[in-house]
Amino acid sequence: MLKRLASTALVALMTLTLLPAGGSAQAPIKIGVIEPLSGPVAASGNYIRMGAEIARDWINARGGVNGRKVELVIEDNKSDPKEAASAAEKLIVRDKVPAIMGAWGSSMTLAAMPKLEEYGVPMVVETSSAASITKRGNPWVFRISPPSEMEALGLEQYVDRLGVKKADFLAVNTDWGRGSIQAFGDMLKKKGVQIGAAEFMEQAATDMNAQITKIKATGGDTLFLTTAVEQITLVLKQGQEQRLTRKIVTTGGSSSPTQLIKQAGAAAEGSYHIVFFMPWFPEAMPDAKLAKAFVDEWNKRGHPFEGLTEGFRGHDGIATIVEAIKTAGKDEPKAIQEALWKVSFTGVNGPIKFEKDGPAGKESGQSKPSIFVVQVRDGKVGLPDFMKK
Amino acid sequence: MDQLLQHLVNGLVLGGTYALLGIGLTLIFGLMSVVNFAHGEFYTLGAYAAFATLALAGLPFFAALLVAIAAGALLGAICERLLLRPLRGHSIDTIMLVMIGVWIAMQNAELLTWGGVARSIPHPFPTAPLTLGPLSIAPLRLFVVVTAAVIIALAWLGIHTTRLGTAMRATFQDRDTAALMGVPIGRIHTITFAFGSALAAAAGALLGPVFLAYPSMGDLASLKAFSVVILGGLGNLAGATLGGLLLGVAEELGAGYVSSGYRDAVGFVAIILVLMFRPAGLFARAERIG
Amino acid sequence: MIARAAVALGAGAALTAPWWVANPYHLHVLIMAAIFTILALSLNLLLGYTGQLSLGHAAFFGIGAYTSALLSLPPLEWSFWVALPAAAAASGLAGWAIGRLALKLRGAYFVLVTISFAGVISLVSINWMTLTNGPLGLPGVPAPALGPWALRTKTAYWYLVLSAAALAYLVCQRLVASRIGRALVALRENEPLAESVGIDGTRYLVLAAVVSAAMAGVGGSLYAHYTRFVSPEVFLFSYTVTMVIMVIAGGQGTLAGPVVGALLFTVLPEALREAVAWQWQMLAYGVVLVLCMFFLPRGIVPTVATAWRTARTAGGPPEMRSGSVGLFKMRRGSDTPESC
Repeated sequence: MLKRLASTALVALMTLTLLPAGGSAQAPIKIGVIEPLSGPVAASGNYIRMGAEIARDWINARGGVNGRKVELVIEDNKSDPKEAASAAEKLIVRDKVPAIMGAWGSSMTLAAMPKLEEYGVPMVVETSSAASITKRGNPWVFRISPPSEMEALGLEQYVDRLGVKKADFLAVNTDWGRGSIQAFGDMLKKKGVQIGAAEFMEQAATDMNAQITKIKATGGDTLFLTTAVEQITLVLKQGQEQRLTRKIVTTGGSSSPTQLIKQAGAAAEGSYHIVFFMPWFPEAMPDAKLAKAFVDEWNKRGHPFEGLTEGFRGHDGIATIVEAIKTAGKDEPKAIQEALWKVSFTGVNGPIKFEKDGPAGKESGQSKPSIFVVQVRDGKVGLPDFMKK
Repeated sequence: MDQLLQHLVNGLVLGGTYALLGIGLTLIFGLMSVVNFAHGEFYTLGAYAAFATLALAGLPFFAALLVAIAAGALLGAICERLLLRPLRGHSIDTIMLVMIGVWIAMQNAELLTWGGVARSIPHPFPTAPLTLGPLSIAPLRLFVVVTAAVIIALAWLGIHTTRLGTAMRATFQDRDTAALMGVPIGRIHTITFAFGSALAAAAGALLGPVFLAYPSMGDLASLKAFSVVILGGLGNLAGATLGGLLLGVAEELGAGYVSSGYRDAVGFVAIILVLMFRPAGLFARAERIG
Repeated sequence: MIARAAVALGAGAALTAPWWVANPYHLHVLIMAAIFTILALSLNLLLGYTGQLSLGHAAFFGIGAYTSALLSLPPLEWSFWVALPAAAAASGLAGWAIGRLALKLRGAYFVLVTISFAGVISLVSINWMTLTNGPLGLPGVPAPALGPWALRTKTAYWYLVLSAAALAYLVCQRLVASRIGRALVALRENEPLAESVGIDGTRYLVLAAVVSAAMAGVGGSLYAHYTRFVSPEVFLFSYTVTMVIMVIAGGQGTLAGPVVGALLFTVLPEALREAVAWQWQMLAYGVVLVLCMFFLPRGIVPTVATAWRTARTAGGPPEMRSGSVGLFKMRRGSDTPESC
């Protein structure tokens, strides 16, 4: 009788130990993040980091993934491809992350890609725009940001309503700027628009007066600007000084119209901007509730409002990886990679679902993000006339 | 023709600011033989000092300039006393490496303090440009050029008319004899470095509102300053001024008529050509030693 | 003696590295250190032995990387073993150009010519799209192949770069010990005097520049085939600065100095990555650099060598300043470069 009691107690005890210990005793799920946190584009890299941290905190507040907390392992790629590759290697080998988000700039992402293949770890690309990233036949790459061609297609429907007859380009002399000129140039030519001048500026250049003087002389009616927000501010201001009067359209999505209004003032008036997130009216986003919650949380943390146009990418990148881990049921790189193909949910930008891109058999994943156009009017950001129904 | 004139005007305005950067460095490089890679960081310091004064403290524009100059001078003096003086007599390479360390440290300290976001520095000038026929120039830029000219003139007067200036030039020409004549060499070095850094900071405070303030703005400024110093000849104030103007104009014309992508190459090619054919600088005069 | 034992120990450790190194990431750091050793040794030839500072060394590195990459990618698809010497030749040619350009220049002026040259090359690499693919870079550079095997694994590549580094060291050692080396040192110590006994300053400077550049080109080629991606960032001034730091902090004018410097300053940023939060990494790096130069102004190797020697001979006669150039021989005095 006593023996029976004892053995029942023993079995009961053993059964109890098999139950999960409420999540806290389990190891966290680590996700690697590679961004430029120092150097000339430190601001952008940090916005992405802030967005990623919001995603992490929200997920952990809801109980984590399969009961485990999410932990971000953040590395600085110092805006240098060699560092991006080193950071990827360290994250994979030392920190043993099963997935990474990164690496902002296209050359940094391209430099890290061989490591993904070498070790078999997937990476979600949140910002890079070079077409080659998904065309190189690397099945471990999944991009949620649009390549320049997709962006140009997003604008195509508005070209007539914008009234573009002759366009000029001014772009930063990087893969992004050049790719943008190529993509938008092709798209505009197909619509019968004349192309005027295509000028470049170095990434660190602050004086664009020479280029503006040349553009003034072409007689075009629209100027497509592709560069970071600081240079856009300078171009707008210098354009105003030289009395450049034509439509301005900025591409790339990182132009942060709020910051432009603050820093360029009247010079930004009337300019159009292609963005992938509209924090000024989150109710117009595909998932209005999520967008509004993101904006509120961002403001609550005291982050600069102008960072929202980039910060959301950090959120969506982490959210994508977490979705895949949930679907896979485990934080193992190959499982996550397979699960990424099955992911279909709505992030801050909109629906995220990967389609095959690149050479057959080794396709990368490319999602089709939503693309929006906004305009600066009366010192505020609003929807352009032609978009109001 | 309109374009040409506008390019020239742009070039002169830009050149004035290059000149300001250059004369500070020509003193430091020329007198102290310090390859000061941190020169651009004092430029950045000046810009952020102006930002702090104008945007945060809300003081008037001239106050910003004075604060920047004071900050540059103070930090320059500290730098010289703490880092350069103990290393005097060591090879030029050691000192250069220390300045590189200072460069890295200062830039990242600024990144930590102000964040990576570029700051717009408010200024009281109207944004509508002044027009003269087909030419446009912003009032702010005109102010910058005029102020730069005034500062350069004051610096020149200081070097050539005051006793301190004479002491500096004496140390420059022959340190040992100057020491024998009772010139306090140590103090002259500190003052020179502080002076040069203050000029860089002034350039930063003037240019900050024209462009933007961000932590890596000093990198290109350092290299341009070195170009100007070479063009004008080490230690040659007038040469640095003219060299700065020349560089600005050459860059503008190069960017306007050759290719905007190769804009910075103009400065580099200019250095190479000058050094090949007139190594002492375009405006070398008998006063300068080798 | 101690020096020989240290070298033997180091060599043994290097040869067996893939086995005792904790994980592939550390091996990756070692491979980068080996590549930078070659670069530091090459810069040391110019800086330590001729006394002329080249601040455009990244240009030679980059030219080597691009040449090697372009030759081994389609449409040429040459073997790595042909691309490597070609890279060395291309860089060597650039070195010759610098040498000729800077004919009579010394000191600060030479520095500025090298900076300008590197600046121009950098801009060309960004703008000459048809040749270099501009900012988009050259991805997919193939790994070297030895017969039927591709040297793709880290272990294989480690032995490749280790051999190259050892070879570079030997070349430097032979050069420095030879007549050419003695001529270079003579020029460094007192150029007018050397010229007066018939040593042609410019000719030797050009020679040093060519060898130095060619060696850097080899480093560039090895880099390109390891990272398999070349972009204009190889011309970043920060690479040059890193090389300069390695040579000067390690100890210029010695042979062991660049090796120690390369090892230390490749490992340091990675160690900082682990030890310090990302916000403080670069700041810490700058501070370490300043402190290093403050307390070891002649570089690590010479300071250690002097301290060791002082400890051993405690109070004996001061060491003779001339003599053969050896492993730890340091650069004499504190020269200021002559301007012309």
